[in-house]
Amino acid sequence: MSPLTENLAMRLGRPQRAEGAPLSERERAVHVLARLAFGHRPGDVDRLVAGGVDKWLGDQLSEKLAGPQHLVEKLDGLASLGLSPLECEEYVYRPTPTNPTGQERRTRERARRLPMRELVEAVGLRAIYSDRQADEVLCDFWRNHLNVSFTKGWPSNIYIPDYERTVLRANLHRTFGEMLAASAKHPAMLHYLDNHLSRRPPSDQELAVIERAVRRETGSKERGSEAAAIAAQRGLNENYARELMELHTLGVDRSYRQKDVIAAAAALTGWGIDRGRQSFSFKQDRHIEGDKKFLGYPLRKDREKGTGQGDRIVEILSGHDHTAEFIATKLVRFLVSDNPPRRVVGEVERAFKKKGSRLPDLAWAVIEHGEFWSRDNYRSKFKTPFEFVVSALRATDAKIDSLDRIDSVLKDMGQPVYRCDDPTGYYDTAEAWLDPGVMSLRWKFALELSAGELFGVSVGRNFYYGLEEDPNPLRWIDFLVERILPAGAAPRTYLMLFEAIREHTSGGRRAELSVLGPQIVGLLLGSPEFQQQ
Amino acid sequence: MNEITDRGPQPPTRRAFLGASAALGLAGPGLARPSLELLREAQSGTSAEGGPPALVVVYLRGGADMLNMLIPRREATYALARPGIGIGEEQGRIALDDDWALHPALAPLAPLYKEGLLAPIVNVGSPHTTRSHFDAQDFMEFAAPGNRSVRSGWLNRYLELTSRERAKRRRKGPAETEFRALGMQGLLPRSLRGDYPVLAVPGDAGSKESNAALNRFEKFYGAGGQAAGQETGMDGRSEEGDEGGSAVVKSGKVTIETLRRLQEILGAGEQVDYGFPSSGFGRGLARIGQVLASGEGLEVAGIDIGGWDHHANQGGTDGRHAQMLGDLAQSMAAFALQQSGRLDRTALLVMSEFGRTVNENGSDGTDHGHGGGMLLLGGGVRGGHVLGEWRGLRSDQLYQGRDLPVTTDFRDVFAEVLRSLFDFKTPKDFFPDYRPGRLDLFS
Repeated sequence: MSPLTENLAMRLGRPQRAEGAPLSERERAVHVLARLAFGHRPGDVDRLVAGGVDKWLGDQLSEKLAGPQHLVEKLDGLASLGLSPLECEEYVYRPTPTNPTGQERRTRERARRLPMRELVEAVGLRAIYSDRQADEVLCDFWRNHLNVSFTKGWPSNIYIPDYERTVLRANLHRTFGEMLAASAKHPAMLHYLDNHLSRRPPSDQELAVIERAVRRETGSKERGSEAAAIAAQRGLNENYARELMELHTLGVDRSYRQKDVIAAAAALTGWGIDRGRQSFSFKQDRHIEGDKKFLGYPLRKDREKGTGQGDRIVEILSGHDHTAEFIATKLVRFLVSDNPPRRVVGEVERAFKKKGSRLPDLAWAVIEHGEFWSRDNYRSKFKTPFEFVVSALRATDAKIDSLDRIDSVLKDMGQPVYRCDDPTGYYDTAEAWLDPGVMSLRWKFALELSAGELFGVSVGRNFYYGLEEDPNPLRWIDFLVERILPAGAAPRTYLMLFEAIREHTSGGRRAELSVLGPQIVGLLLGSPEFQQQ
Repeated sequence: MNEITDRGPQPPTRRAFLGASAALGLAGPGLARPSLELLREAQSGTSAEGGPPALVVVYLRGGADMLNMLIPRREATYALARPGIGIGEEQGRIALDDDWALHPALAPLAPLYKEGLLAPIVNVGSPHTTRSHFDAQDFMEFAAPGNRSVRSGWLNRYLELTSRERAKRRRKGPAETEFRALGMQGLLPRSLRGDYPVLAVPGDAGSKESNAALNRFEKFYGAGGQAAGQETGMDGRSEEGDEGGSAVVKSGKVTIETLRRLQEILGAGEQVDYGFPSSGFGRGLARIGQVLASGEGLEVAGIDIGGWDHHANQGGTDGRHAQMLGDLAQSMAAFALQQSGRLDRTALLVMSEFGRTVNENGSDGTDHGHGGGMLLLGGGVRGGHVLGEWRGLRSDQLYQGRDLPVTTDFRDVFAEVLRSLFDFKTPKDFFPDYRPGRLDLFS
């Protein structure tokens, strides 16, 4: 028996766990770091085991301010992050002459893109470095649930940074109703789903005024009636009202009909954006007044004035039983399994319906259920591109000077931050991400990251600390498997690693840590096990 | 080594091709002067390749401005509506006939039109009036305007339905080729998403780095058959369980096998320079063409060009729009030449989610409109005519007084392409809520 196969036999001889056996404390640590964090960093698993997994969870889901100093400093460097939309607009404003040169245009465009770049960078940095990992993971969930996107174009650039801060982060520890209500009135959402365009169709009287004005101005009767015809087409935009029900609360085609969509859209007319202040404003003249009926609830004109009817709709929807079921199912899919176990969903639903329950309570309901910890759900969920990339950067303790290259990697993989065109947000099931072909992008990323070929990102020498002293590359494998796959690697993976050593040391060459180390890390990051959480 | 370099066909062979094509009477600077006759001649020669009929769909994302691609020569309103970006006779537009002219950047398409290989279709679009990019793209690529419950692409539905039927007929026999459909980009266009598994080819497939990655991970993912699937997992469970990711291993295996094969196809055969530009689109289309010519059985391919949302700085004869048109036209002309051996069975369809406003806006661009246009290229196409029903540009002829109206439902085009090219009659619910209109696109 060669030393290599002997080594493998030894590893295979490790105690194996029977199917259905409860997770060990170490496995529990790996599990929560995969599901309520973007994976482990070196030493995390040991720290959790030592300090107690339950204690870690308690800390993570309680409301505390935190963040390591180096992250705070990095974020401080991103000047546009804390600005309101109006401040942000002023910040990126560059005076441009009427006939700008190409250079001037480019300068202006660069300035306008700045808030987007900085926000994308901040989201990445927080996911990688923040100690408040559960916040980051859940923020990712809500970011996709209440999706807005830079692909909508200007002025989303100046709205979305504020949306992330005031709608998502500020409400992570509050109720669903509070987060939903905040999103409904935020310029980013009003713009993304077109509600700011929605308005009461003009009355005949108003059309006549328009026609007369244009006719007088142009001296053309034809132009006048044309302008009136265009004006008559303007009116209700159902986009937001529909998505509010379909994607944000009730779920598709559940319990609402087209007449409810229209009633909601009508109640939400006038919810617009004051472009001067770049903030929410209610425009009475665009609002459709009068009694309405929504999902069987009467909305009375005399009782709900101004935004009252719209507020009432948001309130009805956020407390609706179907919303509880929809959100619970989605959250359990996100935290537990692509096929959400019915009983866990039921538990989360109950938590959702409890009066005053806060969003972390929903996560608690998941964790407190035994099925979250079942072996069937352990390392069984495919990582999205974002989860894969972030977890690789965390596992290797990568040092990051610029996230630009990471952003373009995510773009290639189809999941750039805040650029999901589709109001559904990014899906988080394997089905959506396992197209034949995509794995090659992950492999390339794994090899480039470990080999130091990704611009702005490096895996430091101290990641291999202590290995220089050890001449036996088999022990390097043990050490690096422990770092990248702390729950252990499959025999197949070990075989691959042995083969890499064999290739590397063929002809009696001495093993070079600086060459072989990164190779092993690259293979581990590209292994099937590392694609799972 | 951060830049991914990926070279297409190399220059030396171009000379060889020019020599060969000179003999065929095809030579000349620019070389893209394929004639139908010569293409037919070539078809009987060595370049004739096997393979089923094939459709390549090119999607111009962002709402391409058709009105500056195919310009109506007789509409006086055109020049008035577009004082800044309009393409007049003096801007060198290329007359196709008394009524129509091409943007000068589309010059490589003119010979194709004259040879009857190219048909522009005017006033095509969606019966849904949305001016939102993502809605319009969804509606179009799922071919279900206004219907949000349909989440599979029209091309995928075609593949899935016919695949099931073929499987019934075939029972035993060779499995379906993995190359029946592909997206020449890292993520599939929506038209190809759905139950039928379609290969998404990453942009760098075949590059040194990508090959190195495949080599590295080959045994991990059990391509070649030994490693995976025959062992028990580390916890004593079968590898078929979720842990260790059997689906991941399977996807990885398919990735390796298909990309390997793709690489062989791309490396095989004579490297001829057909004049594809070195742009991402040019390279992608060249690759699709190579797979088509390989006889591997490719039937449906999709590829996108992004960035057609020209609200500002669209430009006229030069500028962003013109550059992009040049890329599109050169690539299409090169594709026609490359496919000369099988052009009768090949169609290339260019589309976009909507057209743009007739009037230019205040920032040298155009805004989201309604009716748009398509380009259909192929040997069997009823080319050399502008197809579809043109209404005119007078404000009372426009939709809401500002946009081209839609006189042809895009599903009429889809249905006709599937019927004529693949002999596939779309079943009743293939396009939900659709009333078929008739449009003769093929001769």
